[in-house]
Amino acid sequence: MIKVVVVGGGWAGCAAALAAAKAGAQVTLIERTDLLLGTGLVGGIFRNNGRYTAAEEAIAMGGSDLFVAMDAKTRHKNISFPGHNHASLYDVTTIEPLVRSVLKNYGVELLFQSRVTDVVKMGRKIQAVVLDSGDTVDGDAFVDTTGSAGPMGNCLKYGNGCAMCVLRCPAFGPRVSITAKADVKEYTGRKTDGSSGAMSGSCKLAKDSLSEDIRRILEATGVVVVKLPDELVKTNSLGKKACTQYAVDEYATNLVLLDTGHAKLMTSFFPLEELRTIPGFESARFADPYAGGKGNSVRYLAIAPCNNSLKVDGVDNLFCGGEKSGVMVGHTEAIVTGLLAGHNAVRCCIDMQYLELPRTLAVGDIISFVHEQMHTPNGLKIRYTFSGSVYFERMKATGLYATDREQIQTRVEQSGLRDIYNQCLV
Amino acid sequence: MRNRLPARCIDINSPYCPCILAEVNHCVYCSHLRGEQVCNCNWTGVCILNEKTWQSTTNKKWNWDDVKTRTEVAAPISRLEEIAPDTCRVQLLVPPELAESLNRPGSFVFLRRSDDPEFFKFPVGIMAVENEKIEVVIEAIGAKSSRVLEQGLQTLVVKGPYYNGVFGQPWIDKITEGYIVLLAGGMGQPPAVLIAKALSENKNKVVAIVAPGKIGKIIVEEEFSKWGIEVIKVNSMRREGLARLQDLIVAPGNTPDLVVSAGPDDQHYGIIRAMQAVNLNLPMAATNNATMCCGEGVCGSCDKETRSGKTVRTCKVQTDFVSFI
Repeated sequence: MIKVVVVGGGWAGCAAALAAAKAGAQVTLIERTDLLLGTGLVGGIFRNNGRYTAAEEAIAMGGSDLFVAMDAKTRHKNISFPGHNHASLYDVTTIEPLVRSVLKNYGVELLFQSRVTDVVKMGRKIQAVVLDSGDTVDGDAFVDTTGSAGPMGNCLKYGNGCAMCVLRCPAFGPRVSITAKADVKEYTGRKTDGSSGAMSGSCKLAKDSLSEDIRRILEATGVVVVKLPDELVKTNSLGKKACTQYAVDEYATNLVLLDTGHAKLMTSFFPLEELRTIPGFESARFADPYAGGKGNSVRYLAIAPCNNSLKVDGVDNLFCGGEKSGVMVGHTEAIVTGLLAGHNAVRCCIDMQYLELPRTLAVGDIISFVHEQMHTPNGLKIRYTFSGSVYFERMKATGLYATDREQIQTRVEQSGLRDIYNQCLV
Repeated sequence: MRNRLPARCIDINSPYCPCILAEVNHCVYCSHLRGEQVCNCNWTGVCILNEKTWQSTTNKKWNWDDVKTRTEVAAPISRLEEIAPDTCRVQLLVPPELAESLNRPGSFVFLRRSDDPEFFKFPVGIMAVENEKIEVVIEAIGAKSSRVLEQGLQTLVVKGPYYNGVFGQPWIDKITEGYIVLLAGGMGQPPAVLIAKALSENKNKVVAIVAPGKIGKIIVEEEFSKWGIEVIKVNSMRREGLARLQDLIVAPGNTPDLVVSAGPDDQHYGIIRAMQAVNLNLPMAATNNATMCCGEGVCGSCDKETRSGKTVRTCKVQTDFVSFI
């Protein structure tokens, strides 16, 4: 039986593990912490703007499982907030066990608190990954979904230092890039000022620390928008954010809160003293990062050079998904790239032609588009997402943006990819 | 227990980290502090870049005083006993904090005469620590060491504490209720004492094979026996000791968890060969015999090359001795 090893248990890694298992491989998913989903444990926004199209495309292609899990844990459906429509918010506090059970149902072996620190490479192939316990895990193909955020040295050099985010590097050890350990030179994303990395775009407040009024509206509608006092408006902090879809003026002049179980605050960080001067926030405290008054995780420091099948350049049996595969933002983006990487890892083992997604689908176009853009002078300064900024504009302009489920299914049908991820290849 | 150890700096998590090397952008551990763009360290639970940022004073021109380095102290000689020709066991009085910080396996100090220049200092492994007294054994073999055994000296200059006297120290620190074979030959005996003490305190069963070596005397039998260590005395480590080791490690159902070699590099290599001869690959800790001059990772006299072609500053970098062959 062919064996696929996925390293990194965020949304991309879960999707890759799932796709590889569905395609018939024996799959081991290695995660350095004690929880799956990575930053998906504090995110929660999906189906907003073009992400709706992408999610429905992935579902029609047979990659529905994780979207079903998100839909099942949705706290608020079809909500709007500045710049975003028909968003769903899943409950970040309860979704992880569900995803775990989905993966277990597909027979994926989960290794927790197992940090990969090196690879065993022979020629152009990885033979095994080495855990920090010294053990090795062999495989026929590997998927690098280790992300691009942290560890704390990077957050210090390119951000405001470790803010104690959900990635918990000091407790579980830093992320190690499989791609870098396989001697492949990685890209780094850039801020608009040209410096490396970008800071995560949102933080979370403990909902119970907000005033009863805010809490009530938040739980009833999913959204609260509070106008910032003039003295707290700081438009110049926008360029450093990872999530360009929220780097618009409305987010600099208002506090936008979303109910994802926590009160998601759509800004990288906010000095606590200042935050507490705003009515309703007098007792506010951060739920993620714990030091959300000071900073947030820095990401996009380790992007793998790869082609549109998501095979990493220079290594014959290594694939990548999520942030690793391009300057992309978001759970939906992670899942659609993860699915493709996991699926192609199986094709790699049986000498089958790699799947590339066509540009007639948003999920294919974004991969091709991002890879093209990354080679342009300013391409690494932009983050790409179905939900806003450059890429959503492109979706609207090219007609890829659709919210009609049947229309999306027809497109997938026409591309010949209907249920492609449900086919057992082995 | 892991069979191999990753390379790590012994000074991490000590008051001497971040050190001069971090200041001059040559930290042996943190990739950022070596001028690289992103994190790529052998994580030990501490971020040295973070430590350095916290400890550095901002908006101030950096100067050498900001770096915490070991300082020299004048230490009265409280006892001096000749145990063999040109070999003396010396007891020195040092500040209690220094003595306390030296009370661990692999610790050593630099010694010199107070009227000699600073570059006359040479490393000596610590044999015993009691309150403010430290004991060392000095063999007068070179230009520097022979200076301190001249008659009539009242004090010596001591610089310390230094820690990287044993490769594979994490094994010694971590093992409990295990079975260890300790081989100590000649001048390897003094540093074997603190190793044996630590192993005994952690409820390990220790069997020691001890040879007199070049100094021609067994000096640790009494101490070892005090801790309940079985001592096997041999006349020659090479001719008898290694054979006894092979007998011990091939005993069915009684394979040691760890082998510790305290002695010259030839002894270390002999032990590795003896293990290979019986197809065993046990974890091995071994004393660090590198020539050292500065002890701070700067001068390069202790450099050793590993099998993978990396150069290692052995005064600071903790690794597996096997990686050097």
